Amino acid sequence: MTARPKTVLVVDDETAIRRFLRAALEESGFAVLEAFNGRMALELAAARKPDVILLDLGLPDMDGLDALKRMREWTSAPVIVVSVRSDESDKIEGLDCGADDYLSKPFGVEELLARIRVALRRAERVREDPEPVYSHEDLRVDLVGRRVWLGKKEVRLSPLQYALLSSLVRNAGRVVSQKQLLKDLWPEGSSTPEALRILVHQTRHRIERDPVRPRHLKTEPAVGYRLEALDD
Amino acid sequence: MGPLLREYGIALAAAGLCTAACFAISPFTALTDLAMVYLIGTTVVALRGSWGPSVFTSLLGVLCFNFFFVPPRFTFVVEHPQYVVTFLVMFSVAMVISRLTFRVKTQSEEARRLEVSAEAERLRSSLLSAVSHELRTPLTAIIGSAGSLLHAPGPGGAHWRELLENIREEAERLARLVHNLIETTRLESGKVRLKKELCPIEDVIGTALGRLDKPLAGREVRTELPESLPLAPMDPVLMELVFVNLIENAVRHASGPFPIDISACEQGGSLEIVVADRGPGLRAEPIERIFEKFYRESGSSGGAGLGLAICKAVVEAHGGGIRAENRTGGGALFRLTLPRKDRA
Repeated sequence: MTARPKTVLVVDDETAIRRFLRAALEESGFAVLEAFNGRMALELAAARKPDVILLDLGLPDMDGLDALKRMREWTSAPVIVVSVRSDESDKIEGLDCGADDYLSKPFGVEELLARIRVALRRAERVREDPEPVYSHEDLRVDLVGRRVWLGKKEVRLSPLQYALLSSLVRNAGRVVSQKQLLKDLWPEGSSTPEALRILVHQTRHRIERDPVRPRHLKTEPAVGYRLEALDD
Repeated sequence: MGPLLREYGIALAAAGLCTAACFAISPFTALTDLAMVYLIGTTVVALRGSWGPSVFTSLLGVLCFNFFFVPPRFTFVVEHPQYVVTFLVMFSVAMVISRLTFRVKTQSEEARRLEVSAEAERLRSSLLSAVSHELRTPLTAIIGSAGSLLHAPGPGGAHWRELLENIREEAERLARLVHNLIETTRLESGKVRLKKELCPIEDVIGTALGRLDKPLAGREVRTELPESLPLAPMDPVLMELVFVNLIENAVRHASGPFPIDISACEQGGSLEIVVADRGPGLRAEPIERIFEKFYRESGSSGGAGLGLAICKAVVEAHGGGIRAENRTGGGALFRLTLPRKDRA
């Protein structure tokens, strides 16, 4: 590979966590920068322009969300927020402040790498056209022809169900908050989170073989939904 | 009785002191001004916070004033009927002062108590988040490190992968236990506000199953959740924890190739959800004991006895209930009900 390796800025005050992140990321061909507090994170993000920022919200010197807001004033590099499970409000606020995605501690290496790949792909695609066809395992969505297949069978969706699916396809692999989906699918203030949940429920019964154990359309509890990233 | 008796003693002393003061100033002041001195005594006793002694002081004040100063002095006889009015006014003012003083005192005590308990609550929750951080950070590092090694091409060896997977899976189990422990503490502190939303139960059960992908590997899960099942108000994060615990419990106690059955139906104004296994069943006597904290079935493997206690606490906080029974044909069965309407 001759291309410059992608750089990940890891922001976490715990040495043990930075150490394994460096190992996992370098093993996968990324260059790694480390910051152990918010001030250092802001300096490195400005000076070295990383391709992805992995930001732990619990920083010793400033609120992680404040650091995120300040970064968002001058960089559009994807930011993946890291926080402990059960801090759902932190994650929602992080997404509202411009984070691209989040990881809940403890997380697996596969999950970490998948999030980073999705974030990088998105950042590149902003300049290009989106992929016209999404496919993940047995699900295929053709955004141009507006058609959906499950295996060999074509799936009929209502216009709203299709709107939900295509909105998730455009963000494939990435969490989309309830708030964002409500904004995308309905005119301002004309719907409720319940209506969205019912819509997801119905859509799942069309595009999943076993809707109780979905393979494609996953729920991120209290935050939103995620359509699995398209197959490489 | 000791402290109250002391208060009465103080009341007596206050009346005595007031009388002494009155003797000292009586040559220079009008007679009715002396009544004011006794009111000071009543106020001082009322400030100490006991109702009886301050009434007692008021009464003593009137009597002393009458006996020592109102002519004819050193008798309880009253020469001029106008002094009866003075006594009455003096007594009522003393009572009003005691009552007001008393109320101010209790209010300020109440305020202080609230402040102390708010302080304790703040301390508890900051301690909880510190403990949570301290326990989860090393677990994140262990899970991540084992995962990184599994991801990298290793030196091989027959048991290399197996042992790394062991480290990772057991650390993940420990992480779930820590999560349970922290949630129990949070629920017990009574500080948990349910964030109820109308949710399809299928979604919550699905998320719980997804969370247990690895422990469930190779295990058949049979679900029967009609698509038309109505929504119910629930805190999705806490209800997910309920199902994670019920399913993990089934996995642990019914080891072997037994399937786990999950079904739900509408029963009157409630949703009824059943999680059942084909394990050895429940031996607790009475059976409700399994929902007690730290209860463990004799001869059972693993489990700190927190999972089912959490299930019960969460379901009951939703206004529902959970029961356990032995299943016909063998195995344990958990039946939980969730009201479909919010009873505010």
